[in-house]
Amino acid sequence: MIKKQAEHGHIKKRSQFQETWKRLSKNRLAMVGLAILAVLVITAIFADLIAPYPYDEQDYNATLQSPSLEHLMGTDEYGRDIFSRVVYGSRTSLYVGFISLTGGALIGCIFGAIAGFFGGKTDNIIMRTCDVLHGIPQIVLAIAIASTIGPGITSALIAVAVSSVPNFARVVRAATMTVRDQEYVEASASLGGNNTHIIIHHIFPNILAPIIVQATLGIGKSILLCASLSFLGLGVQPPMPEWGSMLSNARTFMRDYSYMVISPGIAIMLTVLALNLFGDGLRDALDPKLKK
Amino acid sequence: METTKKLLEIKDLSIHYFTEEGVVRAVNNIDFELMRGETMGLVGETGAGKTTTARGIMGLVPNPPGRVVGGEILFEGKDLLKASNLEMRLHRGKDFSMIFQDPMTSLNPILTVGDQIAEVIRLHEKLSRKDANLKAAQILEMVGIPAERMSEYPHQFSGGMKQRVVIAIALACSPKLIIADEPTTALDVTIQAQVLELMRELQEKLGTAMLLITHDLGVVADTCNKVAIMYAGQIVEMGSLEDVYDNTMHPYTKGLFGSLPSLSMKSKRLVPIDGLMPDPVDLPTGCPFHPRCPDCKESCKSRAPVKTEVSPGHYVRCLRYE
Repeated sequence: MIKKQAEHGHIKKRSQFQETWKRLSKNRLAMVGLAILAVLVITAIFADLIAPYPYDEQDYNATLQSPSLEHLMGTDEYGRDIFSRVVYGSRTSLYVGFISLTGGALIGCIFGAIAGFFGGKTDNIIMRTCDVLHGIPQIVLAIAIASTIGPGITSALIAVAVSSVPNFARVVRAATMTVRDQEYVEASASLGGNNTHIIIHHIFPNILAPIIVQATLGIGKSILLCASLSFLGLGVQPPMPEWGSMLSNARTFMRDYSYMVISPGIAIMLTVLALNLFGDGLRDALDPKLKK
Repeated sequence: METTKKLLEIKDLSIHYFTEEGVVRAVNNIDFELMRGETMGLVGETGAGKTTTARGIMGLVPNPPGRVVGGEILFEGKDLLKASNLEMRLHRGKDFSMIFQDPMTSLNPILTVGDQIAEVIRLHEKLSRKDANLKAAQILEMVGIPAERMSEYPHQFSGGMKQRVVIAIALACSPKLIIADEPTTALDVTIQAQVLELMRELQEKLGTAMLLITHDLGVVADTCNKVAIMYAGQIVEMGSLEDVYDNTMHPYTKGLFGSLPSLSMKSKRLVPIDGLMPDPVDLPTGCPFHPRCPDCKESCKSRAPVKTEVSPGHYVRCLRYE
């Protein structure tokens, strides 16, 4: 009878993903964030179809024009359509933001978890290395990386990723240490789980919330850092459009042609805002204790 | 025949914690044995070394600062202290597993109970996720929780239900030995009785041996065949339930019974044991119980008592019986 009931599939198992989604969809702000992100991603993918002009088409008869029907966000000093450049720029910014952050987060999480879980000497070696890395200004670090492998989007990616590693390692280490001594970790050890199993199955899911928060805030930072690198000529190379570098280029014209800074600025702000709203919502949705 | 019946044999085990304040002598030269299917109660005050003994058997003494400094732990004739980490890991959960004191904290809050039961099964048996879930559902039914609740999280269960889940996890791979570390302390009395009843039932059904750690003599009387009383890291009295309860020898054990309210005897006041448990960093010379012992003699202060067999299977560590 026991078996029958078990077999009967009353084990109506809604997956973790479905559960999370259900709770997330009730959070209006998170959905707004998600909507903005979706628009951004679609824009990035279909940039060729959306942008009215190629991003590098220069029109010297129409330089520094204010927003009009022809040029929705005006044109820059070379007569390039800013709207098209913002649209194409979403590609670069999102690409750099996500890739560098994923890389940095992955490495940071692994090292942070190892440091926090094992403690002692291992912890000291990893965290002191992170401190050293943290002590070097990110721009200097980026210049060093760029001068070794040459400037370009790859070196910007690596530089941004490397500079976000210590932040992640620190957050993950602290979170791991609070979870490490929980009884269920010991319980898993008493049932024959090895360290890797415990870290992946018990510790990691329990510290996901701070990682998500760090990641959503980190993407914004990564996009900004990448922009500063581009401004220094170490990141994205012209004529590739990138919001940060557009912002930097436009700063000389800020007083007379403020629309040149406003559009890429709003783009960055919206992206970071959307990521934050979505990240907060996700954190709440992933926490089963907040379940109604 | 004798050797095959013996499941667990502990010989002269000592576990110390090496801290900055000094060496904490948590467990000192204890020995006992446990037969297959037998239940033994390990009774003592807080800090008597009960949990450390359990961790020693599991091979989970936190190191540093803890270390097993001597003795042998024979499980089916094999010395666990000499086993490699990998061997120990394969034993844990499959051959012996542990039920923890507080079901509120010994379950992972963000995994469903079904996943947590299936986890043990998958660690030790090569089963697909689906089969493991099926088996987990059966085990859950066995401890009296409907299988539909598999996909719920620990916080959706009451304390008693959680402890049932913990028991289900411990029993999932039908281990030969279960170490229950104060399994009912965090529960209220009615649920306590239910959980104990369930444990006894399952133990009979599966033929599992159990080491029940508790400070509740009533619980022991209810469930165990054998009792060991621990004080300051030593077993001061050990024997069958009848030996220890009806023919109490050691002054400490007598003190424990004296501090229990009794239904049959009318007494105005309970008789507590004077004094406090000694500091394990600085144990008294001679018999560790002598500062609190009502029958303390001069020799108790200098000479440590040895294990004495007063009747077959009934051991006492007291100078009065040497």
